[in-house]
Amino acid sequence: MKTVLFRAVRVFDGEQFREGLQDVLFCQGKVERIGSSLEAPEDALIVEGEGRLLAPAFIDLHTHLRDPGQVHREDIVSGSRAAAAGGFGAVVAMPNTAPPVDTEAYVAYVLQKGASAGGARVLPAGCVSKERKGEEMAELGAMAHAGAAFFTDDGSPVKGVRLLLNALLYAKDLGVRVMEHPQDVDLSKDFQVHEGRCSALSGMRGYPTAAEVIGITRGIALVRETGCPLHLTHVSVAQGLREIRIAKAEGLPVSCDVTPHHLVLSEEDVLESHLHAAFKVSPPLRSAEDVNALWEGLFDGTVDAIATDHAPWNLDEKDVPFNEAACGIASLECAFSAVFSAWKDRGCPGSLEAFLSLWTSRPGSLLPSREEYRGLLKEGSPAYCTLVDENLEKTVDIATWKSKAGMTPYQGRTFRGWPLCTLVAGELVYDALSGRAHG
Amino acid sequence: MTWMHRNLLDVDVLSREDLEILLDQSVHMEDLLNRPIKKVPALRGRMIVNLFFEASTRTRVSFELAEKFLGADVVNWSVSGSSVTKGETLRDTAWTLEAMGADAVVIRHPMPGTPWYLKEKLKRASVFNAGDGAHAHPTQALLDVYTAWKHFDHSLDGKKIAIVGDILHSRVVRSDITAFTTLGAHVVLSAPRSLMPRGYAHLNVPYEPDPREAVKDADMVYLLRIQRERQQDGLFPSLEEYHWRYGANGELMRRAKPGALVMHPGPINRGVEIASELADGPESVILEQVRSGVATRMGLLYLCMGGAEA
Repeated sequence: MKTVLFRAVRVFDGEQFREGLQDVLFCQGKVERIGSSLEAPEDALIVEGEGRLLAPAFIDLHTHLRDPGQVHREDIVSGSRAAAAGGFGAVVAMPNTAPPVDTEAYVAYVLQKGASAGGARVLPAGCVSKERKGEEMAELGAMAHAGAAFFTDDGSPVKGVRLLLNALLYAKDLGVRVMEHPQDVDLSKDFQVHEGRCSALSGMRGYPTAAEVIGITRGIALVRETGCPLHLTHVSVAQGLREIRIAKAEGLPVSCDVTPHHLVLSEEDVLESHLHAAFKVSPPLRSAEDVNALWEGLFDGTVDAIATDHAPWNLDEKDVPFNEAACGIASLECAFSAVFSAWKDRGCPGSLEAFLSLWTSRPGSLLPSREEYRGLLKEGSPAYCTLVDENLEKTVDIATWKSKAGMTPYQGRTFRGWPLCTLVAGELVYDALSGRAHG
Repeated sequence: MTWMHRNLLDVDVLSREDLEILLDQSVHMEDLLNRPIKKVPALRGRMIVNLFFEASTRTRVSFELAEKFLGADVVNWSVSGSSVTKGETLRDTAWTLEAMGADAVVIRHPMPGTPWYLKEKLKRASVFNAGDGAHAHPTQALLDVYTAWKHFDHSLDGKKIAIVGDILHSRVVRSDITAFTTLGAHVVLSAPRSLMPRGYAHLNVPYEPDPREAVKDADMVYLLRIQRERQQDGLFPSLEEYHWRYGANGELMRRAKPGALVMHPGPINRGVEIASELADGPESVILEQVRSGVATRMGLLYLCMGGAEA
C-alpha cells in the first residue's frame, strides 16, 4: 500500500461534491485527509489532478469474468485489469462459469485469484442453485462465509419459483442479496432481437417485453410475499421499470440495475448495422422509448445502479452471422465513457452527483455490509478512487483493451470523459496520466 | 441516370430511378429469352457462385439460367445445415470462394443478415441476396414489380396491392413492400393476427385482418405460401380453417377490381392459400412471374457486373 496524494481535484465523495479544489491523501489503505494544500509525505506518489474530477472508484455489480473454465474469453486477471482501466475499483463476478461458482471452494478461488489480479477488486457471486440447474439450493451459507457478494443464477432466471422464494428467505439472514435475471424463457424462446420494430423488419424471432416483465413481477411478488430483498439485474424495458417503481413506492426492498448498452444503444443499432453480431445481447437492445424510460429511471430513484453486464467472447464466437453468434456485449473499458457521453448528449439530466452515485455509493450500498469499500470517498474510507477527465475525447479501439474480448459494438465510437487513474486498496492499479507502469 | 450498384443485399438501397433502369433493362433481357439462341457474352469469363444453405430449387435454377444466358461460368455450392454444423465458418467459406476467383456470390441462407456478413468478409466479389431467413428476398421483389409493371402499362402509381398470407415468416413480403411502395403502389397486408409480426406497424403499410376488406378494389392480390409446420407451431388451428378464412378463390376475387392480377411466389399449396380455380385462372400470372425471375436476374447481374471491368 502506497501513500498517494491527488492534488487539486474536484472531490465527489459518493454523495456530494466538496467545495472547490481539494487535495486527497491516501495512506495505509485509507483516505487519510481531504483538504486544501496538503503537504506531501516524503514517500508519497503525487498525482497532479489539475482540476479534474476525483470520485470513489466505480463498483460494477454485474461482470462476466469467465473464470474458471472459459479463460479463452476472459479470466480474472484480464477482467480485473480491464475493469481498473475502465475506472472500476470493484466488480462482482458472475458465477455462470464452467464449472459454475456454486460452492465455498469456488468462491474462495475467485476471491484469491482476484486478490492478486492487479486490477479492480473481484467480488464473487455464487449460484442460487447447485450447478445453476435451478433445482436444489446451493450452499448459500458456506458461500456467504467464504465471501460471496451476491447470489444469482444469472445467464438464466432461477428456474423454480419455489426455489427462488426459499432462497430469498434463506439469504436474508446471511446479509447477501439475491440477484435475479428476469426472463420468461418460454415466451422468449429462441429470441434474437427485441420483439417490435426490429423483429418486424428483420424477420428474426423477438424477445417480447412481456417476457421480461413477467420475470420482474414474479420477483416482486415474492418480495411482497417474503419481505426479503431482491435485486433485479439488467432491466431493459419501460414497463419493467414501472413495476419496480410501484414496488418501491410500496416500500418493498427491491433494487435494480440497468446496463450501459441499454442506455446507449437501441434496436435501431441492430437494424442500421444490418444485423451485426456485435449488437447481439440478452436482453436484446430495446426500443428508443425503452431507452428513454431507462434514462428517466436513473434520476427518479427507480434505478439503483449502472452495471455493465460485461460479457466478453472470443472473436470466433462473435464473428459469425447474427443468429449463430453468442449473446453479450463487452464494455468494461469504455462503459463509463459511453454512458457519460450519452448523459451529456441528453443535456445532463438529473445532476452530476446523481449520475456518479449510480456508479459508486448506490451500487456500493447493495453489497453485503461486511464489505469495507462501499463506493464512498470520505476521510477514513478505504483507499479507492478514480480520476476522471471529463473533457478527454478518445475513440474506442478494442485492440488496446486489457480485456480478452474480441468484439464490441463501441469499436470506433468516440466518447468524451474518461477515467485516467484508478486506485484500488491503496494501489494505483491504473494510471494513464503519468505513463507510469503499474500492475 | 446511371446504375451505381455492384451488389444487391436488399431493395431498400434502390431508388425509384434505379428500379426503372432495372425494369427497362429486364425488358431487353426478356426479349433475349424469346430468341432461339438465348446466350449473350456479357459476363463471359466471370465466375459466379450460387451459395445455397437451404434448398430452394426455383430461385437457384432461376439465378443459374440468368447467369448462363449471360455467358458466366457458374458454380453451384450447396451446403445443408448451417455453417456451424458443417464445421466451416461462413467467413472461411467466403474466403475460400474468393481464393478460387469468384467474381460474385449469390447467397441463400436461413439466417437474417447473412448476406451483409458475407459482403463484409469479401474483398472483391459482388454479393446478391437470394433470401436470408424471413428478412429479405430482393430479387423476388424485382421479379414481382416487373411482372406487375408490365401488366399495368409501365406504371404502378396508385395501384392497390393486397398481400395475404403468412406475413410473419415471409422473406418476400418485406422486400415486396419496399419495392412496390417505392414505385408508388399502395400495399395492404392481411393475415390472421398470429401470422403477423407483432411490430407490424413498423412495416408502414396498413394491416386489415379481414381479407375481404383487404382485397376490396385491389388491382392485384398477392398470396403467400402457408407452410404446414406453422399449424403445428400453434399459429392457426388447421389448414382447412385457414383456407376457409383466408384462402383465395373466385368469391374473394370478386371483391377486387375486375381482372385483378393474382400473384404467388411459389411453390403454391392448392386448396390452402389459393384455390386451383384461381391458380389456373386467366388472372393468374404465377408462371409469368417465373419467367420474369430469369429476365430480372439477368438485368440485375448485367447492370451490377457487366460493362466496365470491376
